[in-house]
Formats: sequence, structure tokens, C-alpha cells
Amino acid sequence: MAGFADLNVPQGPDKKCLQSLLEAAAHLGYSAVALNHVIDFKEKKQEIVKPVSPSELFPSLPIVQGTSKRIKVLTRLTLVVSDPSHCNLLRSTSANIRLYDIIAVFPKTEKLFHIACTTLDVDLVCINVTEKLPFYFRRPPVNMAIDRGIYFELLYTPAIKDSTMRRYTISNAISLMQICKGKNVVISSAAERPLELRGPYDVANLGLLFGLSESEAKAAVSTNCRAAVLHGETRKSACGVVYTVKKPRKVEEEETALPACKKAKTQA
Amino acid sequence: MAAPQLRRLGQAPRHLLVCEKGHARHARSRHAAHVRDHAYNCRVSFLIPECGILPEVLKSTVADVGEYYLVRSLPVHELVAQEFIDAFVKKGSCYALSYNTKIDQDNTAALLPNGKLILSVDKDTYEELGLQGRPSQYSGKKVMRYIITIDLTDAGFHPDSKKHNRVLWALKEKKPLEFDFLLAWYTNIGAGGSTLMSYFSKNQIQALKPKITFSTLRDLQCPVLQSNELQGKPDESCSTEELFEWLGAVLNQVSLDNTSSSFLSTYCCPQPNVMVEKAFLCTITGFIIPEKIIQLLEQLCCYFGEPKLAYWLTLTVHGFADSPVSWRESEHGFHKGGENLYNFVIFRNLDYWLQMAGTSRRMPDIYLQRS
Repeated sequence: MAGFADLNVPQGPDKKCLQSLLEAAAHLGYSAVALNHVIDFKEKKQEIVKPVSPSELFPSLPIVQGTSKRIKVLTRLTLVVSDPSHCNLLRSTSANIRLYDIIAVFPKTEKLFHIACTTLDVDLVCINVTEKLPFYFRRPPVNMAIDRGIYFELLYTPAIKDSTMRRYTISNAISLMQICKGKNVVISSAAERPLELRGPYDVANLGLLFGLSESEAKAAVSTNCRAAVLHGETRKSACGVVYTVKKPRKVEEEETALPACKKAKTQA
Repeated sequence: MAAPQLRRLGQAPRHLLVCEKGHARHARSRHAAHVRDHAYNCRVSFLIPECGILPEVLKSTVADVGEYYLVRSLPVHELVAQEFIDAFVKKGSCYALSYNTKIDQDNTAALLPNGKLILSVDKDTYEELGLQGRPSQYSGKKVMRYIITIDLTDAGFHPDSKKHNRVLWALKEKKPLEFDFLLAWYTNIGAGGSTLMSYFSKNQIQALKPKITFSTLRDLQCPVLQSNELQGKPDESCSTEELFEWLGAVLNQVSLDNTSSSFLSTYCCPQPNVMVEKAFLCTITGFIIPEKIIQLLEQLCCYFGEPKLAYWLTLTVHGFADSPVSWRESEHGFHKGGENLYNFVIFRNLDYWLQMAGTSRRMPDIYLQRS
């Protein structure tokens, strides 16, 4: 089984807070975290910024407890969509979107959920856990999502904070499990403070309350996260097989190469 | 709607406890074989009721548990090298276990005393490595872990053979695997620590001594046991499960008095029990090889050679939670906890109970059939 991952650490403006979150995650034994950048289309015009590269943010990443490796930091973009027109952004080949490792959508209506599961090129579909579901899950889109390798994300921090939200979290999770049968589920934190993070084995245990079996619950924090990240990686490659990387070219070479090229053209 | 989920929650996590009974001096007693089957042990503890001071013989046996070695970032192909096989694997029992690697996340490696090298690797590594293995028995439809077994003492595994070359090529060039290893070596001539030290002198090797702690427990309530009553009899003796639970509480220093003000534990000693004035508890932690445990077990049997107050004593051995094998070569998994341990209860008449416990994951089938 792959290492544990938490695919949702909100990327706030406070760098110190983020650093302490990363340290807490590494101490708990997560070997990968994804910094989440949320874009809500309801609020004015929002620009999709380039992801901040983790190496820029943190010069030295904390070491995962019990191993000698450093924690892996990924970037993630979450789009909160409440209108079908918002999805156009995902269809267009926006350069900035492609730079993110993981792309998630948070559909607000049943129609959008259907679109997200069946047609959009995303890795994660967020499930609302803070209020009563505005719609029922239906089998066709969920099955389609499972076939396409899209994962459903459940958050556990709201359940820690508040008892009403806990009720919604559990009931929404169970209604999802009745349809997806425990397949393709990812559990992540969305923790804003280090105290809200929980260890991976504890999260897997919480998964039992969501109606997952023991092995499914453990997969929800390890194997499924790995699969979601790999699904995101295929977006950057051709058919998930071929990568194209820009070859770093030296300045001097370019200078000498250019005239030769011109010459060849005129001759032809 | 939530009924199936609730029903599932009602089930306690699966664990297994297998018990068997025997006599330590019986000609066909298998107690030593059982100890030998469990290769990697990280903690040995014994509890002797009605004993204030440890006899000298036992004390020297405990002190003689032997050193073990920690080699930092040792490439696995060094364990496959012919010089190593000739010098150590074929001449005695060589134990090696990768250190600080997690069986459910990382690659792990272990060398068994019978000369089998076991690599438990994840899917990516397995595909890169190009060695033949089999899927882990704990994987479902999607196989994420593979087990590769290489028999180093096999006659076909000589330096010129195709197989040897392929293994060496895979571990050296295809995917160079490197681990921190815990090493121990035992021969009939004597522990060959210095040879191990000199062989790996170019790697970072350090000799470590097991940590030994002695403690005397005062006024301990001990359950009453009868060697021929495994299931226990109401009001006469306790069953093996009750003893096992009690022993876990004693070894972890859980309070047994069940005071109403305690919010941590409401556990108390099973009935019937006797109050014992003092009990001796010794714990050894480290990389302890089975040969030494057998010696210790023999000495503990000899403890009853002279008349003693105690009716029984116990010896508990914990295995590494992250070792790729538990008993013999059977695969060991880690789901929420990887405990694999066994416990001997030795009675005054040298009858013994052996309790073997595993986690929610399956125990070796051979043991299940016998119980």
C-alpha cells in the first residue's frame, strides 16, 4: 500500500500557519499533502493564479516521522461551481489550470454533480459535508465517475468542530456509500489549524462511521489518494503514456543555432 | 437506513489467540520449535510471582542475550553476494530485518535463518525490479504489494547461475534497494559478532546491546490457574483468555484496582485470584534471536527445579510489528496494528501453555488447524 496522504490542506495567506500544518502532518505520518487553492465563482471575478511552488514557500520540508524521507507537497485547485457556465473554464485549455497537480470541483446542484462526474476532466469531486445535501446521489453518474477514475472527497474537520456538522457529515457520507459501495472515496482534512489534523489510522477508523469497511477506509487515506494524484498526472501527459518536457537550452547555443536555421530556409 | 453500518460497527476488530498445552520435558514437545519459528523478536518479558530476587543463573542468562548490529543504508545486493552467503548464511543462523520501514507503506526486507531472503515491495518497485514474486495474500482485487522470496542456500543459486546473475543485476542496476538493517548472527561455535563487524566495516555499523529492565511488583493480584484446565472452571481457575488479558494489563502497568474514580481503566483481575506479595518482572528489548530465547526458556523451566512458592510463571515474546513474516515464512500484514506475539505459561510440574496471538489479519493456517 502506498504512503498516507492528505489531499486537502487549505492554502491561506499565512505562511507560518502553513508551515506548522505541514510539520504536524509530517509528524502524524503523512508522506504527502496537497495545498488547496479554492476558487468560488460566486465571489466577483476570480483569477486562477499560478500555483505557488512548494519549494519556493518552504526552503526545507519537514521529515516524515519514522522515515528518512521529506514530506511531499502537491498543489491542488478546487473550483466551487454553482452554474454550468463555470465549467467552461475547465474545458478550455487554460494554461494556469494545467499547472496544478490535482483539480477538484465542488458541485452545488445535482445537474452540476452529473456534469462533474461524467464529462469534466477533474480528479476529485467534493461532497458537501457542512449542510444537508441539496440532492440525492444517483447511480449512473457515480458509476460513470468510478469508471473514469474520479474520486469522491469527504472532509473530516467539520465533523470535529461542530456536532451538527458531524451529523451532516455522517449522513451525507452514508448516503454516498450506499451508491458507490465504498469505492473511490478519499478522506481528507481541510484543517486550518494543526490541532484539527488527525493521524491516518485515526482517519481510517473514522471511515468506519462513514460506512466504509476496514480495508476501504484505509485505502481512502492511502491507495486512493495515490490513484487520484496519478490521475492528475495523466493530464500533463499524452494519453497518460508520453511526457513532453521542455529541454533547457543554453543561451549560447541558441545564438549560434539561429543564423544557421535562417540560412537553411532561404536556401530552400 | 443505517442498520447495516451499525451492525458492522458492533463487531470488535478481529484478533486471534491460539492456545495449546504441552509438557516441557516431553520427548516430542515442540516448544523449542515454536520459538524457533518466530524469527524476529523485539521484546521478551517474563513475570515470576512470589519472587523477590532473580536467581544468579537466570540473571546471567538475561545478561547473555547478546548484541545485535545496526547497519545504516546497506544495499540489499550485499546480502546476496556470494562472500556473504559463504561466510554467514551457510555457517550459522543469520538474521536480518530492515529497520524503520513500514510494512503497509514502504518496501521491507528480511533474511531468515534458513537462508531465505524475503522482500516485500510495493507495486511500483516490483514492476521496476523485474524479479519474480507473488501478490501479497492481503491484497484484494487491486494488488498493491508483492512478496519476492529468494532462497540463498539453494543449490541452483551459485555465482555463475542465471538466477544469481539476474537477482544481482536487478538489485544492483535495475532498482538499487537500500535499507537500514538490524543484523544478528548465531553459530554453534559462539556468537560471531566481531566477524559481522569486520565484514561490514566499510558500511556504517554499530553494535547495540539489548535494553534490560528489572522491576519488582508489590501486592499484585494474580489469577489462579490449573494446568489441565485451559478453559478454566468457574470459582476454581481462570481461562487462558482471562490470563492473557490480565498479563497485558500487568506488562503495560495498567492499574488493576478498578477504583470508581478512575476514568482510564475499569479493568480488574479475573476471579478467582490470589494476592501475591511481590512478583518479579524483567523486560528485554532489542533484536533478540530465538536461540537466546530458547536458552532463557530452559533456564525458566529449571527455576522450578528447587521448591518454589510460585505455581506458574510466564514468558512473553513480542514480534516486530513491521516484519514481513510472522511465524515461519507466513506473511505478516499490518492493518491497524501488526502485533504478533506468543506467551508461555510454565507450571510448577513443567506443563506449559503456549498462547499465540495475531492481529485482525490471518494467522498461519497450520496453527489454526491444530488448535
